[in-house]
Amino acid sequence: MSLNDLAFKLNSHITNEGTRFDAVLSEDGVLEVSCSNNEEFPINIVKTETQLLAITPLFSVAEVQADKLNELNEELLFISPAIPLSSIGRQADTYILFGAMALNTVFDNIVHELEIQAENTLDVLQVIEPLLS
Amino acid sequence: MSILRNILTAVRGGASEVGEAVVDANAMRILSQEIRDAEDAIGNAKQSLTNLKATEIKLKREVNSLHQDIADYESKALQALDANNEALAGEVANKMAELEAEADEKSAEYKDLSAQVEKINTMIRQREKTIQKNKRELEKIKTVEQLQKATSTMSTNFAATSSKEHRVSAALDRVKQKQSNWEDRMEAGEWMAETEKTDDLDSKLKAAGIGDTSSSGASVLERLKQKKNKS
Repeated sequence: MSLNDLAFKLNSHITNEGTRFDAVLSEDGVLEVSCSNNEEFPINIVKTETQLLAITPLFSVAEVQADKLNELNEELLFISPAIPLSSIGRQADTYILFGAMALNTVFDNIVHELEIQAENTLDVLQVIEPLLS
Repeated sequence: MSILRNILTAVRGGASEVGEAVVDANAMRILSQEIRDAEDAIGNAKQSLTNLKATEIKLKREVNSLHQDIADYESKALQALDANNEALAGEVANKMAELEAEADEKSAEYKDLSAQVEKINTMIRQREKTIQKNKRELEKIKTVEQLQKATSTMSTNFAATSSKEHRVSAALDRVKQKQSNWEDRMEAGEWMAETEKTDDLDSKLKAAGIGDTSSSGASVLERLKQKKNKS
């Protein structure tokens, strides 16, 4: 499924839990998806030769209390395995939550991944909020 | 060495602009070129194999044919010996010797050819392994490129354009609101259950004529009569 097709399907879909999606494909090939269960943190979807990657940029290093960075990194490492379907990583100065799916993943599973990732974002932020400035 | 070390260095180094090289651009070019070279080599090797296969089949047929002829002549030589015709047997033996020499030569040729075929097959397998390994390395680089692109994409479409500080607090406020709503609903649910329980009990008492029964016309009239009797 192309990102364009995915956008089209997402925009007309409602999950069993009532989550809706707004999906917009940018010119540089990034599909930006806003989930109604977490509109503040849209998910960016990109494709490689073998994967669909769903990335939620969370916060930057600058937003972390300076003396809490090591503690934050440790906490994220410890909680990452417990987060369903999503992993925590970092790209340069930005912490991200991301999920990877095979290119032939069926639509329902993509939707499930996105819905869960939006929820996971809130869970992660709740945990590390005390460490943010 | 895996490309992962190069990727780590590049990503930690803060190469965050979309389109900026994740790793040394040469690394990608080299990997891609190696893949193309390996694919070309495999293509040529398969062509050689096809040609060699034709020769292999021909040689095998000739060797088998020679062995068959040798066996025939052997049988005839034995018959000649049985018939005490040693001269004839000798001629047949000479012919057999020629054929055996030819068979030996062709067998050696066949053996060399088989070794060549095996060598080419081994080379193809190694090249295939190189191709797959390089493709995986390239995939890692492209994955990081896409990750960087997705991470640095500034939202132009949604509410996330508000400042980063407000995004986190807005999202957490949403969580708190949800929890508060849930607690309210739980409380409301408990209240409803309690109210229904009380209503149920009141109905039973009323039905049994116990407790504060609501005023009825008859009870008011009775009260008025009593009042009148007193006055």
